[in-house]
Amino acid sequence: MRSAIAYSPKPGAFGRVGALAASVYLGSLAVAAFVYSNPLVLAALAAATVVAGLLCGAGRALKTSARWAAILGVFIVAVNAIASQRGDTVLVRGWELPVLGQLDVSGEALIEGGLLALRIGVVLGIFAIHSACVDPDRIMRLLRPLARHSAMTASLVTRLVPLAAADHARLREAAALRGPGAAAVGRAAIVRRLVAGSLDRAVDVAAALELRGYAHGAPRRSGSQRRSRHDWRFAAAGIAIVVVAASARIAGVGDFNAYPTTELDARMPTLALALALPVLAALPFAGLERAKSSSRASRERRG
Amino acid sequence: MRRFSYAYPATRAPALDDVDLELADGEFVVVAGRSGSGKSSLLRALCGLIPHYQGGVAAGELRVAGLDVRDSGPAELGGLVGLVGQDPEAQVVSATVRSELELPLELRGESDGARARAVEEVTLALGIAHLIDRPTDALSGGELQRVALASALVLRPRLILLDEPTSQLDPVAGNELIGLLRRLNEEWGMGVVIAEHRLERCLAAADRVVALAGGGIAFDGSPCELGEWAAAADPSLLTPAMRLFELAGVRPFPVAAKDARRILDAQAIVLPPPRERLPVDDAPLSGHGSEAAARPALSCRGLWVELDAGAGLREVLRGLALEIAPGERVALMGRNGAGKSTLLRAAAGLVEVARGRLEAPAGIALLPQSPSDLFVRERVVEELPGESGRQALATVGLEWAGDCDPRDLSGGERERLALAIVMAGRNEQRPGAVALDEPTRGMDAARKGELCEWLAELAAAGSAIVVATHDVEFAARFADRVILLGDGELIADGRADEILSGGWYFATEVARILGGEGAITPEQGAAAIADARAASPGSRVLR
Repeated sequence: MRSAIAYSPKPGAFGRVGALAASVYLGSLAVAAFVYSNPLVLAALAAATVVAGLLCGAGRALKTSARWAAILGVFIVAVNAIASQRGDTVLVRGWELPVLGQLDVSGEALIEGGLLALRIGVVLGIFAIHSACVDPDRIMRLLRPLARHSAMTASLVTRLVPLAAADHARLREAAALRGPGAAAVGRAAIVRRLVAGSLDRAVDVAAALELRGYAHGAPRRSGSQRRSRHDWRFAAAGIAIVVVAASARIAGVGDFNAYPTTELDARMPTLALALALPVLAALPFAGLERAKSSSRASRERRG
Repeated sequence: MRRFSYAYPATRAPALDDVDLELADGEFVVVAGRSGSGKSSLLRALCGLIPHYQGGVAAGELRVAGLDVRDSGPAELGGLVGLVGQDPEAQVVSATVRSELELPLELRGESDGARARAVEEVTLALGIAHLIDRPTDALSGGELQRVALASALVLRPRLILLDEPTSQLDPVAGNELIGLLRRLNEEWGMGVVIAEHRLERCLAAADRVVALAGGGIAFDGSPCELGEWAAAADPSLLTPAMRLFELAGVRPFPVAAKDARRILDAQAIVLPPPRERLPVDDAPLSGHGSEAAARPALSCRGLWVELDAGAGLREVLRGLALEIAPGERVALMGRNGAGKSTLLRAAAGLVEVARGRLEAPAGIALLPQSPSDLFVRERVVEELPGESGRQALATVGLEWAGDCDPRDLSGGERERLALAIVMAGRNEQRPGAVALDEPTRGMDAARKGELCEWLAELAAAGSAIVVATHDVEFAARFADRVILLGDGELIADGRADEILSGGWYFATEVARILGGEGAITPEQGAAAIADARAASPGSRVLR
């Protein structure tokens, strides 16, 4: 079974959007997530990511990323609670350790850890949507004129990952087929065999790349990207998200301080920003939905 | 090629030895030879991978379309020569079919219009337009093979090289591919060099045959001349039609079925109607008698299996019902995706049964498509330790190989070792059923013969043998029963001589020559011709 975050062409408008426009759109949400620590804004970005993911048709990818984010989130909160010894509200007074000193758990450290986890969750979600919806070859094509050798290495790795996954599945099946009298095969043996086989695979795939013309010299220009009439909507939405987020940040909207006591800016401009971000993320899809329903209505009228 | 020799790095024996070969523009050449004779090396040299990519030592002269291969690497030759290798998985480098086809054009700086047109044309020519936006890791082996071919053809090279391109294809897809290559060759003058073990598939399309032995050219002539040479020098290269004529003492050797029928007609060899040809045997198919019938080695009833290859659940087996008796030799056939491998994998417990019953009371040992996946250690004895391991090795005649590295064994020995690994410890080394998934892929005729003998021995010892295969000629030689699957359902089940002579695609070359049911192997065909000769003394025999 293919991974939920593996790329597969999606039927909707976002599936037809060029790689650059799609990356600008999704990347803008990631940029905003790194710019803000305010929980209201981060929660709004999480909502925007969910809205974007569902409208892009990447629900399964979102679910997978949410599972990873939950596991990672628990880890981040736990580590931050122990590692960060700031914060006035001490919830648990810890032990006195020789090197680390006194380990306390403060409410502020827990809140900051939670926000870090939320930010990582948003970024993972965006990464999952991008991975599931944007053709990696088109991304590679964007990068190729800038860094040909890196793009070739990336192409090789991109191809080797699914090949290694297929080889691993086959080796695991072969191990399950061994008779009870044959030596049992553990994970380590399979991994060893997989690594040895991957070298052969890499040679074969590199030979295929060579025959396709990778060594032919850099293309004179990047092949123009396959475009969609919806490109501008997503690119414009992405740019709008970055501009709004950056302007608001410069204007001091959405301030947040975790230490020594948590200070949260929840004034009207911050609330407006939190409302604007999911709306901007959903905006490029809005007209499309109308177009779809109006064409359905006109078909029904004709029928 | 002028006196071209090549040895791979760290080997002394040359893979190509003093080869003199000149290919004219637009020739359709079949390269024949046993495994290890140098066929793949020849193709790799013609596209520049040898010596540029493989390293090693090359001597002599090699020019492709006027370019000296020593100066021009595979990338320079890529616009002139396309290569399709044995393993399509390792040749596809992009995430979607469209990207895969656009890549070589883009790397050569082709304009958007030229790219779009080339991709459109090649997808239409190869019948893969419906795959264009599919992810490459969701394609079947046959689909991947076509995409790899399309990727090699998209630059419209002057010469296309194919290394056993039909080895993963069912007879229908294999014939379509050869027909397509012939069309490209005839209509566009594209040169074709195809290395194949199943010569009967492509000989009729060829202008010339080159047979390699030990890295050198052993034969270079027209397909009509191949029979005479092979009969004297290497009978394993005879096609079933040629073998039929060899056994029946009919000359000249035919190139293909149509040619063979013409020769038989010309010699007034009139065969009786098919039904009268062989005695009708109403006895049950082989197996170990009533006891076997009472307790089948493998049985299923109302078997449904659903798999998800990324595009949602698909019913791969749909209400299948069949029984296979101990000692039976069964060929499981059908098109790519018909459900053959899934049935075997379900029997071995690798995939879940959605509904129905599937039983192998005395156990089943399944040899996967790639037997080398079973080798994870560096010595045979480490794979099969202890007394049961020793017994398993003795069962397949490899008790001497304990200290060898499995990868150092010959192809046939590796196959036997893999069989020993899957059978070890099961029912005293004799599982109730032994299943093999596409075991003849990339095998030459000699190795297929060896495999047939091993399987016959296992069957004689009481194991039911089930082989999923696309190889009709192998099925005719090995099986006494053929089960044909189509879209997950049983579409035919009967004696091998009935099933393999009654259809257009799933019929042997001998059956297509002689027409109708009955004779499917060269031996049976020769007997039928001998009977025909006896019945009509007017027929002539040319010697």
